[in-house]
Amino acid sequence: ATPTSNAADLGKRPRPGPLDLTAAKTSRQSSLSTARNIVDINGVKYPEGISSPRPELNENAKPGHFRYDRDFLLQFMAICKEKPPSLPPLDAIGLEPIDQATLMMSRGGSGR
Amino acid sequence: QEVDMQAQADQIRTVFSDPANFNVKHPLFSAWTLWFDSPSTKGRNLPQTPMSAFPQTPGAQTPGAVGGGWMDDIKRVINFDSVEEFWGLYNNIIPPSQLPQKANYYLFKEGIIPAWEDEANKYGGKWSIQLPKDKNRPHVDRMWLFTMLAAIGETFDPSPNGNVNDSLITGVIVSTRPQFYRLSIWTRLAPGGAEDDAKLRERIEAVGRHFKMQVLGYQEVQRLAGPLATEVEFQSHKDSEKKGKSVRKIVV
Repeated sequence: ATPTSNAADLGKRPRPGPLDLTAAKTSRQSSLSTARNIVDINGVKYPEGISSPRPELNENAKPGHFRYDRDFLLQFMAICKEKPPSLPPLDAIGLEPIDQATLMMSRGGSGR
Repeated sequence: QEVDMQAQADQIRTVFSDPANFNVKHPLFSAWTLWFDSPSTKGRNLPQTPMSAFPQTPGAQTPGAVGGGWMDDIKRVINFDSVEEFWGLYNNIIPPSQLPQKANYYLFKEGIIPAWEDEANKYGGKWSIQLPKDKNRPHVDRMWLFTMLAAIGETFDPSPNGNVNDSLITGVIVSTRPQFYRLSIWTRLAPGGAEDDAKLRERIEAVGRHFKMQVLGYQEVQRLAGPLATEVEFQSHKDSEKKGKSVRKIVV
């Protein structure tokens, strides 16, 4: 099934599915693409234990142009782990961790 | 497809309340683009290059770069405009401590090329700090993360009220060199010598202090310069071009 049909199916689903990791992975991706932008940032209620952005940062905010303090932003780190679909393969743009890079350089370098 | 607005308003689900089926995301003050270059990106011809994404940069010479071909070698990694997308990127990319030597990440507002001659940068300057690599390898990833968070959270410059162009910040950079790391904050404007620049200078200095204390975690009075290390210092791009001549720097 294409991601689009998945998204449509999920939208009709009356309750979240069982804890199947494959399903969670797929639905999270489609959630990111179907989720709307928050309009009123100071009106959002977060679950217990999650802090709101510091309200003074957005006193005169225009919808969609919000400012967020670091402590608020850090709360997403452990949750939003899905690789963005638009992220290219890193090695294709020459973005490789140091060990691989040095390995490749020594391989291609002196022609031993 | 009918949407019951009231029911939706009552059923805002953030990623915190439902990581799998959230229906709202947190828009950033601005959309951002991450760029990357290193010795191994040079000479690669790939579809996602700045040349295909933006009109060619004007002029034969790119200041601060090796000739006019510099923009050929810098790769656009991704665009994003929400908090959720930022973390998806962060959790799937290589941190600065694992980058090869002579590599750079450039996180700039969408539509601004990370070069001096971009309209948004050409009257500006940069705050930067240089840190010896051996002592700072354990810290550089957190420093870069906090720098990015202050940029995308738009907390470097407390003045703007919704108008993206009011914000002084155009982008942030981390650079790896054989012996040191450099972190930079690029600004849209730079104070000149005139009296009426006092307000701008104040604003620029506030960015520098925020960078030094809140982002990098130093004390205001702490002196940082040493072998391979600099203070947190500001220089306009125009002054950076006059290499060798005495240039004015602001230090916090």
